[in-house]
Amino acid sequence: MESTRNKLIQILANNDSTYISGQQLSKELAISRSAVWKHMKELEKDGYTIEGVSNKGYRIIAYPEKLSSNTIKWGLNTNWLGKTIYHKESIPSTQILAKQLASDDTEHGTVIIADEQTMGKGRLNRTWHSTNGKGIWMSLVLRPRLLPHLAPQLTLLTATVLCDVLAKVTPLNPAIKWPNDIFINHKKVAGILTEMQAEQDQIQYVVIGIGINVNHTEQDIPKDLKGKATSLRLESDRDWDIRDMIQNILLTFESAYQVYLDQGFPVVKEKWENYGYKLGESVWINTMKDRWYGSILGIAEDGALLAEKEGEQIKLYSAEIEW
Amino acid sequence: MLKVQEIRELIKLIDQSSIDEFTYESNGTSVTMKKGQDPIAVQPKEPSTQPIVKEVETDKQKEKQAPVPQDETETQEDSTPVAKDAAGDQEIVSPMVGTFYAASSPESDPYVKVGSRVENDTIVCIVEAMKLFNEIEAEVTGEIVEVLVQDGELVEYGQPLFRVKTK
Repeated sequence: MESTRNKLIQILANNDSTYISGQQLSKELAISRSAVWKHMKELEKDGYTIEGVSNKGYRIIAYPEKLSSNTIKWGLNTNWLGKTIYHKESIPSTQILAKQLASDDTEHGTVIIADEQTMGKGRLNRTWHSTNGKGIWMSLVLRPRLLPHLAPQLTLLTATVLCDVLAKVTPLNPAIKWPNDIFINHKKVAGILTEMQAEQDQIQYVVIGIGINVNHTEQDIPKDLKGKATSLRLESDRDWDIRDMIQNILLTFESAYQVYLDQGFPVVKEKWENYGYKLGESVWINTMKDRWYGSILGIAEDGALLAEKEGEQIKLYSAEIEW
Repeated sequence: MLKVQEIRELIKLIDQSSIDEFTYESNGTSVTMKKGQDPIAVQPKEPSTQPIVKEVETDKQKEKQAPVPQDETETQEDSTPVAKDAAGDQEIVSPMVGTFYAASSPESDPYVKVGSRVENDTIVCIVEAMKLFNEIEAEVTGEIVEVLVQDGELVEYGQPLFRVKTK
């Protein structure tokens, strides 16, 4: 049923300037004309506006703003990422559902998207504010055939993917704060949190959680984050199509992931360093045991942060950088 | 330089073999292992790193403690990520470099403590690197007898995190 509906959307979308007759549709989809009509009604429920003119046929006039697994899948030209999509209007956290699905053997490339998270997860169970319908809150389930100690590189790769998409779609200049926070004009616009279940030599699953503030207005930014957090809308003075951006991210992620598997980390490293925020500048660096003022130099061959401490170059795997 | 993991693997292999003495040399570092009546020696020429010292201690413990009946040791399941030490306990080791977190958040109770019973799929801690949080499962059934690292400590690949008494 769903694939017939997807085909129907494809056909209509590819011909959005002309009408397509019900007869032609029933022929192409190999279903009866009354079945075509039923599908049209279902699409309207999903938020599509379809114009039907007698003797001419049907035409899509407007696409739904409302997200659904259907609307996200429509026009998504990926090979494996997002073939299974779970969309929820409101959910405690896409990470929690993604991890449940991952333990229940959901396929590699499953995507979980929510309009709203009531308990969005940040680092170490800090909350992440995920306002209803204003941002992208999604989790990707991957089952990479990588050694577990390489998996942290996937979080850096995800950061470069988000930057690539934002740089392509918007007029803004995104930057990455190590390891994977996305900044625009010195404020955080997106964050990435990755969770993994792995044995010593084999990854069971990796769940990459992505949160992007897209259409937030001043009022949508919590008081305690003012001056620290922003949204694409606040930085560019216009609204952005969330569905379109999700598709762009999935498509870009899929190809970057393949390049990484084929060619390894150097490509990611180069991209990352191009987007690297405050590279060469001095910042406060906090580790669990230490805090010092030193410059950040770049990233190592494995993705660790290269920083300067008392004149020496050191490698960091976990740290908080202040600015 | 050999990794802790590799040294441990070597000790295991040599222990099971008829080799009495083994020397490995590379880039100015050498590791010598001897079995039998001679005092056990593991002596890198470079300043010894912590894990190697640990191996020495482990072997000394073996001498001090009552020997574990051979058949019991051998029936124990020997899964890859869990290194078995000389006392018959198993160690849960870190699969990657990162920061060791004993709890899911600073306010929460630790996942496990000394005395906690663990099953194969019990989450015992988190190791984080570059904001990837790896929930480490015990992969062994037994009781935690020692927590070998502190909350917030940097751990190396292959570094023992917990000692587990298996039944």
